[in-house]
Amino acid sequence: METEIKIITQNWGRINPQSIDEYIAAGGYQALFKFIKEMDPEIAVEEIKTSGLCGRGGAGFPTGLKLESVQKEKVTEKYFICNLDESEPGTYKDRMIAENDPHMLIEGIIIASLIVGAKKAFIYINGNYKKSAEILERAVGQAKQKVFLGPAILHSRYGLEIEIFEGAGAYICGEETALINSIEGKRGEPRMRPPFPTQSGLFGKPTAVNNAETIANIPWIIENGGAEFAKVGSKKSPGTKLFILDGAVKNRDVVEAPLGITLKELIDNYGGGIYAGKEFWFAQVGGSSGRLALEKDLEMKLEYDREAKIPLGSGAILVVDKMADIHELLLSWASFFRRESCGKCVPCREGTFRLWEIAKRLRDGEISDRDKAAIEDILWTLNNTTFCPLGKFAATAFGDALQYFPKEIYKLSK
Amino acid sequence: MNVTTEKILLEFDPETKNLLPVLKKISARFGHVAKEDAQKIADYFSLPLSEVFETASFYDLVKTQKDPPLVIQVCSGANCAIKSANRVIREIENQLHIKAGDMFNPKVKLEIISCLGQCGSGPVVVVNGNVFARVAPNDVDDILRNYV
Repeated sequence: METEIKIITQNWGRINPQSIDEYIAAGGYQALFKFIKEMDPEIAVEEIKTSGLCGRGGAGFPTGLKLESVQKEKVTEKYFICNLDESEPGTYKDRMIAENDPHMLIEGIIIASLIVGAKKAFIYINGNYKKSAEILERAVGQAKQKVFLGPAILHSRYGLEIEIFEGAGAYICGEETALINSIEGKRGEPRMRPPFPTQSGLFGKPTAVNNAETIANIPWIIENGGAEFAKVGSKKSPGTKLFILDGAVKNRDVVEAPLGITLKELIDNYGGGIYAGKEFWFAQVGGSSGRLALEKDLEMKLEYDREAKIPLGSGAILVVDKMADIHELLLSWASFFRRESCGKCVPCREGTFRLWEIAKRLRDGEISDRDKAAIEDILWTLNNTTFCPLGKFAATAFGDALQYFPKEIYKLSK
Repeated sequence: MNVTTEKILLEFDPETKNLLPVLKKISARFGHVAKEDAQKIADYFSLPLSEVFETASFYDLVKTQKDPPLVIQVCSGANCAIKSANRVIREIENQLHIKAGDMFNPKVKLEIISCLGQCGSGPVVVVNGNVFARVAPNDVDDILRNYV
């Protein structure tokens, strides 16, 4: 484990996150110098494409392609947005990035913004992350003093301003078009696509929205080259990933591991194994919107792959042991999505509400045959007919649990 | 200094990107966005009142109704749920004779909330903005004693 490469966490605990000088002494902002002195945005975007970096927020879209499509838009006003509206239950990796190494994130934002040709970047941060927002605010101030930000970065032709925008407590605003609506002062409801934000995003201008962890990889790629990055981790999705381990593991923490690692290796080598006296039942991969992995799935590789049976999502891993009460989990998932459904479309608004009602009856042992028949119908509707993926998320873990553990779930029912 | 809605408004340019920050600030300062304030905001941003309310009513951190003096929030995300968050909720309900989600109690509100990103230290309980981590049902008595 000692020899394994650290990209995102290389400075964590080693430097004072509030000191730009310590970040520079640790080799920070070298990528920005290199970009400004030696590279064109076109060359830089090729490096990112070569690296194979893909979105770490959950969808796994190739970052190079996203940046390139904004870069190609021929208008002068463009935006770059760092998505730090982390609200997936069980996920706090982006908060850790902001608190442990804010300058790495800011360096990534600067380079990515200059690549796409944006003169204004926003950091959209979860409204509950007050402390992280203050840390970032201070770091942006320090970067301005060093002329890493401003009208002429390092006295070059590039200019950039970063604004921190605090969210107001809505899960759906992590979805990029809802996030854009929210900055525009509207309800945080998702927009119809196309047009994609890369063509018509914030204030109708081309906009690149990228997850904070994705962006934090960019300085390393620019400094060491895309080909070097592509050698790390899995072939399908190179690089490392932050995993958030919780539940019945000894080490409940955020860890950085190469992509392509198996779930078993992650739990044993990084999580310190299953907590003494507990027995593995299943793991939920990717937060509350994630699928359930059973014992037979432990050898599965964790990587971004469209065909994957269990998508990696945000990287949150909740290990559930055999003592856990499945009814509490069903209710937790269902009540979360009922609360966070934005109400724009009926299948999601009503579907999440009915699912929550049924989860309550399941917990109280009052489930009827009519409910049992309705569950299938509700899950199908959520899976297939909602406007944005939130409906599908609400049905994912619930559906998996019903399929895998019908005996445990229905044992109380009459 | 006496902070008024007008003074808060003047800290911001009337651009739409400032609407949500203004709503949050006024809500935090006065406990909620009152109808009269919403009208002032609408005038300042040159928006119809309906659009201001449309935005205000959407977000958890913007209140359109004043909260009672005691607000208890419990995270029930999956990570807190498997660490007995629901037993903590029931303990609070029993001690204070309230129901989670009751919006009409004038003295206290018990709210189930979504993830705060503190999953490493769940279950998380927030009382009037103060965060308590790793709360067990046995801790509820001690926590509430300072507020009731």
